[in-house]
Amino acid sequence: MAIIHVQGLVKRFGPVTAVDDLSFTVKPGTITGFLGPNGAGKTTTLRMLLGLVAPDAGTATVNGQPYAALPEPLHQVGAVLEASSFHPGRTARAHLRIQALAADADASRIEDVLDLVGLADAAGRRIGGFSLGMRQRLGLATALLADPEVLILDEPANGLDPEGVRWLRGLLRGFAAEGGTVLVSSHMLAEVAQTIDSVVIIDHGHLVAQGPVTEMTANGNDLEEAFFQLTRETAR
Amino acid sequence: MTALTVPAAPAARPTPLPRLVRIELLKLTSTRLPYGLLATSLGLSLLFTILEAARAGTPNGPVALTGYAGQSQIVTGGVWGLIFASVLGVTVSSGEFRHHTATLTYLATPSRSRVLAAKAAAGAVAGAVFGLTVYVITLAVGFSFVAARGYHLAIGAGTLADWGAGHLVGAALLGVIGVVVGSLVRSQVATVTGVFVWMIIIESLIGGLFNAARPYLPYTAATALAGTPLGAASFGPGRGASGAAPLPFAASTALLAAIALAGAVIAARTTIRRDVS
Repeated sequence: MAIIHVQGLVKRFGPVTAVDDLSFTVKPGTITGFLGPNGAGKTTTLRMLLGLVAPDAGTATVNGQPYAALPEPLHQVGAVLEASSFHPGRTARAHLRIQALAADADASRIEDVLDLVGLADAAGRRIGGFSLGMRQRLGLATALLADPEVLILDEPANGLDPEGVRWLRGLLRGFAAEGGTVLVSSHMLAEVAQTIDSVVIIDHGHLVAQGPVTEMTANGNDLEEAFFQLTRETAR
Repeated sequence: MTALTVPAAPAARPTPLPRLVRIELLKLTSTRLPYGLLATSLGLSLLFTILEAARAGTPNGPVALTGYAGQSQIVTGGVWGLIFASVLGVTVSSGEFRHHTATLTYLATPSRSRVLAAKAAAGAVAGAVFGLTVYVITLAVGFSFVAARGYHLAIGAGTLADWGAGHLVGAALLGVIGVVVGSLVRSQVATVTGVFVWMIIIESLIGGLFNAARPYLPYTAATALAGTPLGAASFGPGRGASGAAPLPFAASTALLAAIALAGAVIAARTTIRRDVS
């Protein structure tokens, strides 16, 4: 049974159709790459899944319910959508204290997640002075605060250095190994290829392909080659 | 054949409103902006109070501090606490869009009308703190001039307490109106500028041109609650001149509450439903 279910999702911004009749599913306990070129509709789809953007048609559910109807949503879904969604004048610890209160999470989790993402030493600093990589780590700490079942991440590797990307891979693998589900969007295939179990590829708002990575690469292509082949075919 | 029963999905458990208000207050107190706004409003109020008190009784200055008229005038400097309560309210809501934190707020609490209600309550609490703090300190400084000149206090304790209650209620309601306006117009710079322009220029102009309308203007109604004579909180040519009587305490309160409520209903039906992208 799918834990994330997107069915016939449509979103138009004026004359532009950003997402066009998109359907896909994500199985529990997997890491699914949500791939597509820039402007493919990945972020809009994730925002619709999280109830931040209203679809013009279709449904998007987590655990069988729209995000807004989830009881204790932060305990079910942790999301990282943009690295800049922090008040620059607030310290990392104050930010997490607010989020812990919002999630009704135990305050002891704050230090746990700060340690987990490697920001314990910077917890008392104002976020305005953080690098992009540090903000990404803080975003992950925020998402993990309430110990969710599902992680939804939009380009989480942006701004991370090579060591950070490796750390992120380990984090996601560990999360999935404990039964968690990850849906991670990216346009940088090399960064996610080594981490994901299955892929959903979209282009111009349409579904191009969905399936296990092993199927995509069965004919000897690596994921990058398979991606370009599939997106070229849709462009024709 | 066996009938399959599907268990009902658990219903969403909304975060209790008191906790949402605590979250909003924690957001406020974890940045330097509210303290800066409070310090600025206090500084401006004291500046006006000290200038008025120092000039009182001089040939071209305000009425002498010997009696009720002169002593009540130096308290009007406290209106800056009301103006900045409204500005703080604006930052409570529009700040979420300025810093893109609305995403996290709505992920935690998908019910946007509950978020607006919590922000309005936090705006009221913070506004009340602004109004009362500025009033008490302005009063203390203003009356130290009265004492220094050897005059007796001509205003009764009951009146001073009424004005204190008026500062508290007026600033709280202007704080709520600020939250609502910040929800309707997401641009923080535009809204903060608009608040100053409305209170300092537009209300002074309308009040100066149409005396009968003056008591019904929101900032003027709040200053009337705070004990400021009609027109005394105006700027420019409209200052001082007024042929109308201020609204009674309850009527001013009801007027400000109605404005806040009407704006909140409009915001709940329009702007706060918009996509957060």
